[in-house]
Amino acid sequence: MNKKFLWKIGGEAGFGIMTVGLNFSKIAAHSGYHIFDYTEYPSLIRGGHNTYEVLVSPDIVGASKKTIDLLVCLNKDTFELDKERLARDSMVIYDGDEFAPEGNYQLISLPLRAILKEEEAKEIMLNNIALGASLALMDWDLKYLEEIFIEAFSKKGNDIVEVNKKVARRGFDYIKKNYSELIVKDFPIRQAETKVVLTGNESFSLGSIAADCGLYCAYPMTPASSVQTVLANYAEKTGMVVRHSEDEIAVINTAIGSSWAGVRSAVGTSGGGFALMVEGISLAGMLETPLVIFLSQRPAPATGMPTWTEQGDLLFAVNAGHGDFPKIVLAPGDVQEMFELTVKAFDLADIYQTPVIVLSDKFLSESHQSLDLQKISDFSKNYKPNRGKIVAQVQGQTYQRYQVTDDGISPMLIPGAKGIFYQSNSYEHLENGYTTEAADERIKQADKRNRKLETYLKKDFQKPEIYGDFNKSEIVFISWGSNKGPILEAMKELENASLIHFTHVYPLDQGILIPFFPEGKRYILVENNQTGQFGRLLRGETGIEIKEKLLKYDGRSFWPEEIIKYVKPRRI
Amino acid sequence: MGFDPSSVFLTFDIGCSSNMGDFLNGYALHGLHGRAIPTAIGMKLANHKMPVIAVMGDGGCYGEGGNHLLHACRGNHDITVLVFDNGVYGLTTGQVAPTAKKGFKSKSTPAGVIETPINPLSLTISQGATFVAQGFAGNQSQLAELIGKGIAHKGFSLINILQPCVSFNPTRSFDYYKEKTYLLPESYNAGDFRKALDEVEESVLQEKFPLGVIYETEKPVFTDGLIQLADKTLVDKSPITHLESILQDFK
Repeated sequence: MNKKFLWKIGGEAGFGIMTVGLNFSKIAAHSGYHIFDYTEYPSLIRGGHNTYEVLVSPDIVGASKKTIDLLVCLNKDTFELDKERLARDSMVIYDGDEFAPEGNYQLISLPLRAILKEEEAKEIMLNNIALGASLALMDWDLKYLEEIFIEAFSKKGNDIVEVNKKVARRGFDYIKKNYSELIVKDFPIRQAETKVVLTGNESFSLGSIAADCGLYCAYPMTPASSVQTVLANYAEKTGMVVRHSEDEIAVINTAIGSSWAGVRSAVGTSGGGFALMVEGISLAGMLETPLVIFLSQRPAPATGMPTWTEQGDLLFAVNAGHGDFPKIVLAPGDVQEMFELTVKAFDLADIYQTPVIVLSDKFLSESHQSLDLQKISDFSKNYKPNRGKIVAQVQGQTYQRYQVTDDGISPMLIPGAKGIFYQSNSYEHLENGYTTEAADERIKQADKRNRKLETYLKKDFQKPEIYGDFNKSEIVFISWGSNKGPILEAMKELENASLIHFTHVYPLDQGILIPFFPEGKRYILVENNQTGQFGRLLRGETGIEIKEKLLKYDGRSFWPEEIIKYVKPRRI
Repeated sequence: MGFDPSSVFLTFDIGCSSNMGDFLNGYALHGLHGRAIPTAIGMKLANHKMPVIAVMGDGGCYGEGGNHLLHACRGNHDITVLVFDNGVYGLTTGQVAPTAKKGFKSKSTPAGVIETPINPLSLTISQGATFVAQGFAGNQSQLAELIGKGIAHKGFSLINILQPCVSFNPTRSFDYYKEKTYLLPESYNAGDFRKALDEVEESVLQEKFPLGVIYETEKPVFTDGLIQLADKTLVDKSPITHLESILQDFK
């Protein structure tokens, strides 16, 4: 049985490609399957070419694959751009009145525009004819799609719901009548746990809600913007304040102000906006104010390629901010990890009273994965925020904000408690918060701040996760963040490989990590950037050097096939 | 006003003005140059029942943080901004400030500054500030009264405080301000937007500085627009329990 099925749709921007793709993902999840989806679109609001691909599998999947099993061409460009990804058995849906694809594929001529005309439907509904046809080919039904239509369009009137249903039904019936021999039999509708279909950004958003974040402040920047949109949509329900400030400098300073006043606060951006926030990160480090920063990377420098993916900001994130101060950087590898690490980021920010950066990239931020709904729901029900030494009251009148402690963490009194006051100070300060330039006091406070990193490495650093049988493996991939999915998919085709997957990417500890790298294996660093930034970080922090590198920086994530191809020829 | 140091949030910018952080008791955040306004907005969002005062200089407020000032005015955030305006960067030992007179010779403009000075009063009134006043360090009783009124005002209040820098700006001496300032007459109506703009339009260029409340009006403040804050402050809000129902939307 072919365990994976890749559906892909393409068309002009403005054809509703994103909507139809997400609906396909949701229906696949509802039919009992796991999905991974991936979109490509230019940095334009109209025109240009949009695509959406959905991988369907009975198992959890973390990346797409190269060969397309069913390609839906809403225009000729789709076929031309993707024909190199078609195999002999691949099915191609196209409108025979528009063009005729050449090649030895399973061609399915679907009179999209003729149906549209007969039903007097708008051009935007082409995608739903194609979706109906796709569902027929998957041997699924129209029930859930019809529920989606009711949910989406009932406010616009019953007519809209009905015409959408009608055109989807036309596509569906057309396949049943004319191409029933092509219907796929490997993915029958099956019972499975209820799933949610989330992007990395949605997962960060839900994680923030679960963690009881009170303020999210941002200035829009692709590919981080949808976090703000999701959180703003739920603001009344959650009670969160979601603020769109005038610029990223205001964003971070506003979040610092609210966090200082006791509210869990987060900001989100991409590389360029993050650059503007950097002074604020240093401020949060000095004030010892908790802060969660969501950084979704895209190819840079400068404006770069706004709607594409890269892991090029790791070292920038690690080094962001003038001076030495503690900072924690987390890099989730998939949508599930995004949820868990987002919640953890809020705890760590509070426990260590310092900035915590959650690194994503366009690939993780905007790709959907299916997750077990119950698992997330249970997690959030059982979760209690760990605010460390942040307190609402203190005993006595001798409270000192920057009290020197063994673990480096001072009790933080939420401002407003009666009978007490203090200054959190951007200048170097005494234990009581007043400005100082004394050499010994400087050393005391600098050392105190830095001890937080030692405490973190002892108590909260999570070792990298090993996937595959490490002892038996000849090849060991070393990677971080969103490469996890493509590498794990590649490993399904490689018998002798394992993966060391880092999520807690900074700080790193030599003593903890050296045992992960015994002699005698072929270690390959896999990164979605030009210079192997994690490799440089690992070497700098621990002395461990990974010489062999597989790097990609064309704006696209890794294909599992690329990883396999890289490894295999060299084994012969 | 019945405040004690526990009942006020203060945020200090960077500059001589803002070194007040070490002298004024209160719950204080001494932050970055130019950023006291967004910090104050964050404090107010977190706990909108606390008075929030930002202490800044003319460089931080009108130069480095100018963008924040514009947007704080139009948001009518309920914070009070005290700007210590002496026309010079004192802490860095004498470079030109955005409020300096055209032609002012400073360490950074030895041939004289080319730009004309900013007009903080017309700027903030026109951008939606709901309380704009000007005081003078040489008239302390009036200044104290203006600060009190600014804090009591519900909405964005800015008090521009004229003062000499005896070390680095000889052109703005105590006598200079004595000569160039005037008290607004009893008959002046601070509720008249047009009149207020007329009163201050030429004041900077002509070096005639009115003292008093220039403009005052009532408008809903930013947090009034946040239904989330209708019952409780953000810092006191109950934990979120809605994830289950939100998850249903992602099925």
